[in-house]
Amino acid sequence: MKSLLKQKEFSILAIIIVISIILSIVSPAFLTIGNLLDVVEGNVVMGILAIGMTLIIITSDIDVSVAAITTAVAVSVGALFGYLPDSWISLVIIFLIAPIIGLLIGSVNGFLVSKIQIPAIVVTLGTLNIINGLVLYFTNGRYLNSTNFPQAFLSFSNMEILGIPILIFVLAIVAILTWYILKHTFIGRSVMAIGGNQQSSIRVGINYKKAKLFVFAYMGFLCGIAAIAQTAYTKAVDPNGLLGLELMVIAAVVLGGTNIHGGRGTVHGTLLGVLLLALMQNGMILARIDTFWQNVVTGAIIVFAVSYDHISYKRQQEKLAKIEVEA
Amino acid sequence: MKLSKENILGLIALGTFLLMSLIAPGFLGSNNLTNFLFQLPEFGLLALAMMVVILTGGIDLSITYVAALSGVGAALMLTNGFSILTAVLVAILFGVACGAFNGFVVSKIGVPAILVTLGTMVLFEGVILAITKGNSISGFGDTYSLIGNGYYLGVIPLSFLIFIFFVILTAILLNKTSWGRSIYMFGNNDVATLFSGIKNSRVLMKVYLYVGLLAAISAIIMTSRYNSVKVDLGSAYLLQSVAAAVLGGTNIHGGYGKVMGTVYAVIIFQTISNGLNLLGAHSAIVDVFIGSILIIVLTLNFFSDKFKKKKETQASTA
Repeated sequence: MKSLLKQKEFSILAIIIVISIILSIVSPAFLTIGNLLDVVEGNVVMGILAIGMTLIIITSDIDVSVAAITTAVAVSVGALFGYLPDSWISLVIIFLIAPIIGLLIGSVNGFLVSKIQIPAIVVTLGTLNIINGLVLYFTNGRYLNSTNFPQAFLSFSNMEILGIPILIFVLAIVAILTWYILKHTFIGRSVMAIGGNQQSSIRVGINYKKAKLFVFAYMGFLCGIAAIAQTAYTKAVDPNGLLGLELMVIAAVVLGGTNIHGGRGTVHGTLLGVLLLALMQNGMILARIDTFWQNVVTGAIIVFAVSYDHISYKRQQEKLAKIEVEA
Repeated sequence: MKLSKENILGLIALGTFLLMSLIAPGFLGSNNLTNFLFQLPEFGLLALAMMVVILTGGIDLSITYVAALSGVGAALMLTNGFSILTAVLVAILFGVACGAFNGFVVSKIGVPAILVTLGTMVLFEGVILAITKGNSISGFGDTYSLIGNGYYLGVIPLSFLIFIFFVILTAILLNKTSWGRSIYMFGNNDVATLFSGIKNSRVLMKVYLYVGLLAAISAIIMTSRYNSVKVDLGSAYLLQSVAAAVLGGTNIHGGYGKVMGTVYAVIIFQTISNGLNLLGAHSAIVDVFIGSILIIVLTLNFFSDKFKKKKETQASTA
């Protein structure tokens, strides 16, 4: 129990509980299953992207192109919809092709970061510009609605299992898969290791270039899945719909306790971070806070959270140093 | 004769300029050239500011919102009948205050700059939205518009002179003052810098204050040129300014970077976007070009470094 309380994730959970209590007092509409499911379903895309971003931040890199990649895949899927027959086969095709497109784009990022050794922020800034430019060039910013979507896809997006929207299951599968990779596969352990200490991980024989390539490729793969989720959720393709989402994704990961210096981070922590941001936004709407002030509150909480996180990290480091001196 | 990184970049800038004057109709026309000079300062000032932060190993994602907030400050003064001087001072005050906030969290609390400015970016955006309710403020009068649209001696744009002044000022501050030297040292190795008796947090704080100042100056030029201000004032320049600093040879991990490199990179970007515009290219294609150039140049850098190292090892074994 004591170790549970000490965990970083616990403090976020505590904040979430406090916020939930306040919100359910402010608005009785908050603590209904319907509202909570809506909140989660509305943030599936952010959740999937944040899970991928967790791996990248664990290796102490960053990827600002995730929203752009997701949009690019969504636009490609939208273009593909016109040619697909109206049967379950289309659904299979989409679930095969979208992640592959994402994977390919992510691999380009990964190749440039690991083999050409360009800093990740610069690479992804470059690909962000290129992808956004190409998407706007080809779509002219046009919004694509669901009229030419295959019926099979629409019924997939409306599907519910046990009263829970299907997209929430997609998020759950992604979370479990990523948790398994991090915890129980060699590549996942390598990702943790190079984030912890790159020098020593190289010395014990971990191929760190391969691990870096993997995290970016996997991020791309998840962007593909997120693109399907986004298309299913909004039942439309909007080339500008995800503008700026990458920053919220990074914020969610950091709020979830992943250390920006690398080496530490968990999938469930990230999910809590996403939930915290999502509840805050939902809560501000329920509490009828002026939409124009919502950003101020969100920004202030991000600044506060990262500062708090950093102060506790520094304290921990100081403690470590003290033990070394005493021993 | 050996060429430095910056001189090569200068030649590339000259090359793109010549190329565009050959292929883009009307590029060398006096109309377009003055247009070019009018557009350069607002982006150039933001790129300079970004370079100074990157020298410390940080990054400032809130920079365009700092500029927009400064612009709102000036706009509020002007539309409420205050003098232009007050408006300019208030804009600078807003910019420096935002910089002080970023600087405090980065230098005193020690949070990585990318996280702090990520948060303040959302925060400042919110403040602007709360003030403007998402609308634009406009109508600043003819005298104010002279800052962004006026000429000095009837030939050189006033804003371009302001830009040159800040280029020189930044170069002097970085190369001739102990603060500037400390910035480079801090970017290279902050622990060693601390042990050599430099107050790291004070150096960093001044960096963010200076960034706030440059963002405010850029905002004054922008608001004066457009005669209006909105929450997305200059937001397109955020990624471009990082790209310009990096293309200009500034090391993204800090410690190395030259003012002239950034200026050349700004000229290259400006030439390309202006030229493509004249060629009738879709505005989105400009982004594609900027992203591609960034990646191609850094890839070439990587291979040339590798080639050089290979040559050196060969020379040492021979």
